[in-house]
Amino acid sequence: MDLVALQGLNFVYISLTLALVALGLAVVFGLLGVMNMAHGEFVMLGAYSVLVVQNAGLPFLAALPLALALCAAVGWLLEFLVIRHLYRRPFDTLLATWGLAILIREIVEASFGRDYKSIDQSLPGTVDMFGVDYPAYRIVLMALIVVFFIGLLVWYSRSNTGARIKAMVSNPALATAVGINTALLARGAFIFGVCMAGLAGVALSPLVRVEPYMGLDYLLSSFFILVVGGLGSLAGLLVGSTVIGGSDAIVSAITSKTGGYMTVLVISILFLWLRPNGIVARD
Amino acid sequence: MTGSRSLAIDKLSGGYGDITVIRDVSLTVEPGKVVFVTGRNGVGKTTLIKLIAGQLAAQSGNIHFGDRDLRAEPPHSRRAAGIGYAPQESVVFDDLSVRDNLTLQYRDRDLARYEALFSSFPRLQERRAQRAGTLSGGEKKILSFCRAVAEDTDIVMLDEPTEGVQPENIERMASHVATDAAQGRGFLIVEQNLGFAERLADHTHVLDHGICVFDTPGGPGLRTRLAEKLAL
Repeated sequence: MDLVALQGLNFVYISLTLALVALGLAVVFGLLGVMNMAHGEFVMLGAYSVLVVQNAGLPFLAALPLALALCAAVGWLLEFLVIRHLYRRPFDTLLATWGLAILIREIVEASFGRDYKSIDQSLPGTVDMFGVDYPAYRIVLMALIVVFFIGLLVWYSRSNTGARIKAMVSNPALATAVGINTALLARGAFIFGVCMAGLAGVALSPLVRVEPYMGLDYLLSSFFILVVGGLGSLAGLLVGSTVIGGSDAIVSAITSKTGGYMTVLVISILFLWLRPNGIVARD
Repeated sequence: MTGSRSLAIDKLSGGYGDITVIRDVSLTVEPGKVVFVTGRNGVGKTTLIKLIAGQLAAQSGNIHFGDRDLRAEPPHSRRAAGIGYAPQESVVFDDLSVRDNLTLQYRDRDLARYEALFSSFPRLQERRAQRAGTLSGGEKKILSFCRAVAEDTDIVMLDEPTEGVQPENIERMASHVATDAAQGRGFLIVEQNLGFAERLADHTHVLDHGICVFDTPGGPGLRTRLAEKLAL
């Protein structure tokens, strides 16, 4: 019984953290159509922000403003110099951002070295949940992600900005005709997306290996989630994360980490083949 | 709505990429005037209005609104400058509700500004919670018409506003245009419905192969005069 509770908690934990990791890509790729291959590098920048803060002897939460400012600055620069010229040319965005991803990785490697860094657990200890001792940090993180997503959902469905983003995605020419500055809105959405990746990096940093190449795994799983869940909605993102995170957690628990990874790959390939618009398809 | 600026198009040329569709077209929309552009299918009417709206880049010529040079400005600034636009195709935000289509550009998201239009087109008000993509073609045109007419712009550009719209609703559209024009608003309307043009036009331009081949003041007999030219 304890094993079921533990695996259940792991299932929820993996699904929620994956949803957080993929959120930025869901905005940048799902709404703007930019195949941001540097998505994982923004997660990595978030994690390294925590390292910098830790080395400076500052509290964990100080990493949050640093990561957001860093990702916003790098994101703004990328959008201004490269991305804005490539909207509606997805393959070109893929090539350009892949190059940028390598550049960001190399800069971080040159500054911090290739080795794994460890982030101190800022909230050590465990909490008794459903009869199992579960790490306190994970519990808090799960609760925060749930609250964050509910807030985001309410904001996106009610706010003017949310309606304008939907309008821009639905019909960009008409959006400009009603006076929406789509160039500015797209830039804002891109920066929001990469900042969310940085936020995920901060949140996950105490739990994962922190090294310059860590972004690749997050990039892949984010794309898998969007392939399975479908583009353009928060519902699709959550469904995709549950399917990918859930099957990974369950198969990994029964067989091995490799088995879990293979299952994720097979599911993604099946979706690309048989249902390329994902589960929650935008019509 | 009591505008004092004219929209002046001078020797405008442009099209898609390197292809020139419109050549040296000039026209003026003065405050309170209703100007029609007509012609057969594929002669460049929509291209002309897209060039003015900034959706396509002009190759040469001028677009002036009052003392503003609109060619130098991005397309989204036309709305704030005082020029509204309802396109011919993809006329609504399909993924959004009728209500969001009508209100997303306003901070207050208030439907009160549509009171007069809703009394003419009650179906729109009834369907405000519905996704705009589920409306019929004619209903989408009415939605787009209402959205553009309710904006506080000096000039409204309508591209084939009556396409697929039932005759009684076309008549209601015409009376809204006439009322607004009487209050000083200018209209530039691309239209193939000559009855609509005859009812409203102060001036009509006929396009053929991207060139303005004929222009005539409005008034009775317009339909006959235009029909002769369009038959050529």
